[in-house]
Amino acid sequence: MSERGRGRTRTIQVDYLARVEGEGSLTIKLKGDQATEVRLGIFEPPRFFEAFLRGRAYREAPDLTSRICGICPVAYQMSACHAMEDALGIRLEGPLRELRRLLYAGEWIESHGLHVFLLHAPDFLGYPDAISMAKVHGDWVKKGLRLKKAGNAIVARLGGREIHPINVRVGGFYRAPVKQELEALLPELRWGLGACAECLEWTSGFSFPRLERDYELVALRHPDEYPFCEGRLVSSRGLDAGVHDYDAHFEEEQVSYSNALRSRVRGRGAYLCGPLARFNLNFDRLSPEIQRLASGAGLSVPCRNPFRSILVRLVEMAHAFEEAIRIIEGYAPPAQPFVEVAPRAATGFGATEAPRGLLFHRYALDAEGTITGAKIVPPTSQNQLAMEEDFFQLAAQLSRLPHREATHRAEQAIRNHDPCISCATHFLKLEVERE
Amino acid sequence: MSTRARVVGIGQRVAGDDGVGLAVLDELRRRSVPEGTELIHLADPMDLVSLLESGDRAVLVDAVLGSTPGRVVELGPEELSRQAPLPASSHGLGAARAIQLAGALSPGGAASRLRVVAVTIHAPDRYRVGLSPEVAAAVPQAADHVLRLLGSRPR
Repeated sequence: MSERGRGRTRTIQVDYLARVEGEGSLTIKLKGDQATEVRLGIFEPPRFFEAFLRGRAYREAPDLTSRICGICPVAYQMSACHAMEDALGIRLEGPLRELRRLLYAGEWIESHGLHVFLLHAPDFLGYPDAISMAKVHGDWVKKGLRLKKAGNAIVARLGGREIHPINVRVGGFYRAPVKQELEALLPELRWGLGACAECLEWTSGFSFPRLERDYELVALRHPDEYPFCEGRLVSSRGLDAGVHDYDAHFEEEQVSYSNALRSRVRGRGAYLCGPLARFNLNFDRLSPEIQRLASGAGLSVPCRNPFRSILVRLVEMAHAFEEAIRIIEGYAPPAQPFVEVAPRAATGFGATEAPRGLLFHRYALDAEGTITGAKIVPPTSQNQLAMEEDFFQLAAQLSRLPHREATHRAEQAIRNHDPCISCATHFLKLEVERE
Repeated sequence: MSTRARVVGIGQRVAGDDGVGLAVLDELRRRSVPEGTELIHLADPMDLVSLLESGDRAVLVDAVLGSTPGRVVELGPEELSRQAPLPASSHGLGAARAIQLAGALSPGGAASRLRVVAVTIHAPDRYRVGLSPEVAAAVPQAADHVLRLLGSRPR
C-alpha cells in the first residue's frame, strides 16, 4: 500500500488485494468527494480456454472448462453440459436433473461458506484475515468450516471428489449414487440448515456501510425454482429473454488496463449478477421458511446494498441445504446414469447460476461433435463494470475516511462481489488517487 | 485401535515433484509404521484445519521449493508461517495458512506440535507423473525421518 501526491491529491494503492481469487488492481482517482476515474485492472494472464477448446470433442468440455476454477468447477461443468445438450437436442428430467441440482447445492454451500466465514466476515469485524478473527471468534469460524465441509461432502459423494469432480458428463453422470449413499449425508445437512439460521442471526448484527446502488440486476428465472441450472435471462429493468438470445442482449468490451473482457447490457451499460441479483429477482421462488429466515435477518426486496450480500449468501446457503435435503429425501435412482447423445452439427447455449453469478457458455459443433467455436462469459467479467461503478457512489464516503480505512473499505467493497479473477481472465491491487 | 499419530501427505501426482509427499506415504505403506498410525492423503490443504483439531500428533510431508532438489528438511509451524508465500488462491488456504488457522482455533492443539518433513524440489511440473531422480532418491530418507519422529526405528 502506498500513498502518492500532496495537498488535495492522494493515492492509495494496494499492490495485491488479498482474499479475492486471482491477481488484480484497483485504482480510484478522487477529486474532492467525487471519483473521476475507477479502474479495476485484471493482470492475471489470459488463459485462452476458448481457443484451446476448438478441435476438442464435445464430451471434453465439462471437464476441461471445470479446470478454469477451483471453487466453482461444478458451475463450469453444468453450463458446459447444458450448452452441449442444447446443441445435441436432449434435455434431462427426473432424478438426473435432481442430481445436478444436488451437486450444484453442494458447490454453493462450499463456495458461499468459504466466502462468508473466511473471506468476508473479517472485514465486518475489523480483522485483517480469518486467522486473526479465529482467535476471538473461533466458534463461528469452526461453524463456517463445518458448513463448508457439508457442501464438500455432497460434491465428493456425487462428483467422486471434492475439487474438480469427475463424475459429470454430457447427458448425466458416469455413475448414479444409490439412495443410502446420499442418505448418509442427511444428518449433517439438517444440522447445516439450522446452523445457517444461527449464522444469519450473528451476521445480521454486523455494521453495514451505507450504499444503495441502482444496479440492473440480472439472473436466471425459472417458473417454479430458485435458479441453479435453468431459466430465462431476466433483469430488474425488464429484460426477459431465452438463453439463446444472450448475445443479442449482452456485449463484451476490451479495456486497456485489464486482461479480462468487460460485459455490459447492449444499449444500457453495467449490470450485476450473483447472489444479490438472484435474491432480488427470485425471492418469491424461495420457500416460505427461507423467506422468513431472510426477513428475520432484516433482508427484504429490493435489497440494493452490496455490503449486505454476506447475508444473502447465508440465505442462499440455507436454501441450498433445504434443497439438498429435499432432493435426497425424494431420490429414487435413475434407470440409467446418463442419456445417450449423438453428435450433430449445431450451436448450443447454456447458462447456469455459479455461486458468483451467471455463467454463460456457447459452443459450435461440427457433425462429428468437434468444437469449432467456444464462448465462455464468467460472472466476474459481467460484474466488472458494476464493481467499478460502485466506487463512483462510494467516493464521498471514501474521501472522508483516513487513508487506511478508505483502503480497507474499498477492498471490502470489492469482496462484496466475491470476484474470481482467475475465472475472469481474463484481479487486485488497489490504488486511490485523490486530486 | 485408537489413532496415535497421523502422517499427512500433500501434493499432486500429476505435478511432477509436487507429488513427493504422496511418494513418501507410499514408501511408509511398504514399511511397517507404528500401530495406530494413520496415513492420510489430503487433496485440499484446508482439511488440515479439522484434522489438527484433535490432539493426535501429526507429521506433514510435503514438497518445498529449494535451490538443491532432493534435500530432506524438518520444519516447525513457526518456520512454515515465516516462509509462507502469498496464497496462490483465495478459494482455499495453503498448508501454512491452514496450520495457522488450526493453531488459532485450538491453541496448544496438534498444530503447535506439528512437524513438517519437507523435501526440496525445483518447481512443480504440469501434467507430468513421476518424480525427478534427485527427488525420488530422497524418498527413503524422508520416510526414515518420519519414522524417527513417530518414535520408530527406521530400517
